[in-house]
Amino acid sequence: MGAQKSDVEQLRYWRENNDRKSREVLDIWLNGLWLKVNSLGNEKFLVLEQVCLAALDCHIPNVAETCIESLSQSFPSSLRVRKLHAMYFEAKEDFGTATDILNSIIKADETNSAARKRKVAVLKAQGRTVDAIKELTDYLKIFMADVEAWQELAELYISEQDFSKAAFCVEELILHNPHNHLLHQRYADIKYTIGGLENLETARSYYSQALKINPKNMRALYGLYLTSSALSTSAKCSSQRKKEAAKLVEWSLKEIKKRYSEANLMVTALAALEI
Amino acid sequence: MSADLIVDTQIRVWVFLPIVVITFLVGIIRHYVSILLSSQKKVETQQFQDSQLILRSRLLRENAKYIPKAAFLSRRQVFNREEDGYLTQQRPAVTSSMMTDPSMMTDMVKGNLTNVLPMIVVGGWINWMFSGFITTKVPFPLTLRFKSMLQRGIELNHLDASWVSSASWYFLNVFGLRSIYALVLGENNAADQSRQMQDQMSGAAMAMPPDPKVAFKAEWEALEIVDHQWALADIESKLIGEEKVKTE
Repeated sequence: MGAQKSDVEQLRYWRENNDRKSREVLDIWLNGLWLKVNSLGNEKFLVLEQVCLAALDCHIPNVAETCIESLSQSFPSSLRVRKLHAMYFEAKEDFGTATDILNSIIKADETNSAARKRKVAVLKAQGRTVDAIKELTDYLKIFMADVEAWQELAELYISEQDFSKAAFCVEELILHNPHNHLLHQRYADIKYTIGGLENLETARSYYSQALKINPKNMRALYGLYLTSSALSTSAKCSSQRKKEAAKLVEWSLKEIKKRYSEANLMVTALAALEI
Repeated sequence: MSADLIVDTQIRVWVFLPIVVITFLVGIIRHYVSILLSSQKKVETQQFQDSQLILRSRLLRENAKYIPKAAFLSRRQVFNREEDGYLTQQRPAVTSSMMTDPSMMTDMVKGNLTNVLPMIVVGGWINWMFSGFITTKVPFPLTLRFKSMLQRGIELNHLDASWVSSASWYFLNVFGLRSIYALVLGENNAADQSRQMQDQMSGAAMAMPPDPKVAFKAEWEALEIVDHQWALADIESKLIGEEKVKTE
């Protein structure tokens, strides 16, 4: 009994912190919790949902199926259970059925954001990135402040190599969360990839900002080095600008060297950068 | 009042406690009835979109300095475009949909059913059943002004104001049981009549969803006057400068 209690508490802890931990959840479930699930009272259904998601993650469809069955017996008309159903078909790669279920959820409740997002996930799983982008932009027209959706859209655009639109999405992310250095770095990455004098300068600024927020961001440091060395050799740059860029090159190289010496790594590996 | 009144113990058993129990139980029943009757508030997609829109525009305003000027300007353009910007688009008036929407009406009827009706029925019943009793005494002296509040149903000029009549005791219970309900039923329960009454006082206007046009107009104005100052304009030299100070 004591073991069961701590198991349930562990599950609750993961649930509240949004930890995925699918493998661990499934282990707890298979190690005996499934026998005692009826004694959990109202928490039973939350646990079932959690286990169902975990089982889908680990691709053990029969566990998921039993969970969904007992949930849909208790809540025959619940949209939340129907979403699980859709996810079950999604995991079995029966995308047509999954989409049908999701469409029926959206029809019943137009503001159901989870179902709309799942639809994007289905399209993405099918490799139909363009359709996924279209679906996601439709979603974002309504749920404009959904940070995760913007992030996903940025990823999708990057995979389609539509960098200027990806940059727009990352700008949106920065607006929502201006103190995340990874976002600044990501924005700089995109701008650097687009290329061109102006974009390089923007990229340099954002790499610097990422470094300022988190001085340990190695990727940003390398990015700073690359952008400023590109600027210092660019033909379109004025000499004044070039001088500044050269200074930055020097500084970033020094920093990189310092990091490596701190980390006790072979400095010779860096010699390649000093051309 | 030097000679103290002695209240019959029968009053305690048959008037004082029953009133407490009745108001408490009625509150509990109200809670469950309102759960039974409550229809899931359907949030309109439009409404949802509006709130998200305002959220996004506010974020744009606050954190504009972190994105390049061109990015900010293009966003503002989309929000504030004269013809069909997000914040300037034409919307049908909200009130017309309120009147035609039958679910609004049923909601109002249900609200009255759970709020006003028990108040009248139980209040009237208690007034009729337990009228004219002195139930208890507050343990501090009060001025005469409190007589009308605490001694409803008893018109005695010479009675000390700290005595409480049965009808007033009922009202004290209605307003005072809030924390007990919170304890028994959890927060946000529907048992508390006093809150519902406050809602009704201020609620006539509040019941309508706030008109998005007003919020949009305010947001439009605020966005219009934002002066974009790029926070990263001088970031490189800052970065190097800082480091120099540190290393030297």
